[in-house]
Amino acid sequence: MRLMRTPNKVDIAITNRCNLRCRYCYHFESAGDVEGDLSTAAWLQFFEELNRCAVTEVTLAGGEPFIRGDLKEIISGIVRNRMRFQILSNGTLIDDEIASFIASTKRCNYVQVSIDGSMPETHDVMRGKGSFAKALQGLMTLRRNGVQAGVRVTIHRKNVHDLEGIAKLLLEDLRLSSFGTNSAGAMGLCRKNAEMVQLTTEDRMIAMETLLRLTKKYNGRINAMAGPLAEARGWLDMEEARLRGKKLGPGRGYLSGCGCYWQDLAVRADGAVSPCTMLSHIDLGRINRDDIGEIWRGHDALKVLRDRNRVPLSDFAFCQGCEYIKYCTGNCPGLSYTLVGEVNHPSPDACLRKFLAEGGRLPERSLLC
Amino acid sequence: MEQKNPIANPLIVLREEFDDWAILFDPDTGNAFGLNPTGVFIWKLLDGKHDTDEIVNRLREEADEVPADAAEHARQFIASLEQQGLVGYEVIAGSPA
Repeated sequence: MRLMRTPNKVDIAITNRCNLRCRYCYHFESAGDVEGDLSTAAWLQFFEELNRCAVTEVTLAGGEPFIRGDLKEIISGIVRNRMRFQILSNGTLIDDEIASFIASTKRCNYVQVSIDGSMPETHDVMRGKGSFAKALQGLMTLRRNGVQAGVRVTIHRKNVHDLEGIAKLLLEDLRLSSFGTNSAGAMGLCRKNAEMVQLTTEDRMIAMETLLRLTKKYNGRINAMAGPLAEARGWLDMEEARLRGKKLGPGRGYLSGCGCYWQDLAVRADGAVSPCTMLSHIDLGRINRDDIGEIWRGHDALKVLRDRNRVPLSDFAFCQGCEYIKYCTGNCPGLSYTLVGEVNHPSPDACLRKFLAEGGRLPERSLLC
Repeated sequence: MEQKNPIANPLIVLREEFDDWAILFDPDTGNAFGLNPTGVFIWKLLDGKHDTDEIVNRLREEADEVPADAAEHARQFIASLEQQGLVGYEVIAGSPA
């Protein structure tokens, strides 16, 4: 695969601060949880370099981006340097003034608000009392001001039975065009709150079947790159391929599960550059000190990551004897590192054989749309 | 006498990719336009200092097998960039007749 001269996109933790402490937050108590935010000037200087590198868009995350008092200045810097942006937010700090400002830039692809329930009970249990009402208010404020607003639903043990209610709220009552889903993983605060947060095998089956059914009901308006819906689709394809002896496309049977480091870089709140927000422990250099283009093209750690797709899954004891080996990609290296301490290892969390061995069952293929 | 020199819209990002191809990215719309190596060469000379004939002459000096109707192709290419708001024209006063 050929490498671009510079990254196309950069994911930026614009702050380490947040007004919430969601029990499944991947950020806090991870390698990305660092001391001290950078100054406005430091970010503005960095955006000038991104302009010279012809980066086309940035994602602002954190922490909670709207907690920064200088967010307007930061966004203005992005706009001045010819980029577009999106913001990932808990939605609780968004007012008309900032929403109106964002809309006026005409450069915002979307603001994503996290909403995890159809009612306060299933949202607030993980995110804090009162956060559901504030998140909804934030979402409505964005829409009222003409900002493209999206919703991400993180599925956990306490809302897995509320998925129908969530879909009705978002797609019927609020009339969003779609929403995205993921599940509480193993990173950050998830690890110490695992008992409360992480889906059991039974929960996973319920989530998979419910989400497939709802996606069909709502004509494809539910999305997923990870989590139960993505797993259901991916695993059903793997099972179908295994039964029929079909091929599933390039990269299967190798550690090809991630392509992020062919297009994106990430920056921590302290200015450390990393391959991805899920790989914040890999320090590639510092903004405003090290050349982003040189990091992108020449850093050894990125070369190792980009060579992952040459590593056969058959090299790993974990995969020995697996009948799905030639259909599998090994999934997210960030999760692999979190769970087994190795970036170059298949992620146990994404393992179909393991899921089945723990009593899991795949949903009916007829639920796919 | 007036002279018109095409100028690339400074808002548009030239993102050079593989094998001398590139993308022109408009951050206001999110639209992207592909450029082949000849298009990239021309784009880089849209600096307000070269008219179309000078651009084509430079192309003939630096590229191989430039076709005879290159000037017409270059004009059409620049015209299509102008239609899409990617290029404008600087009008400057020339020497009095």
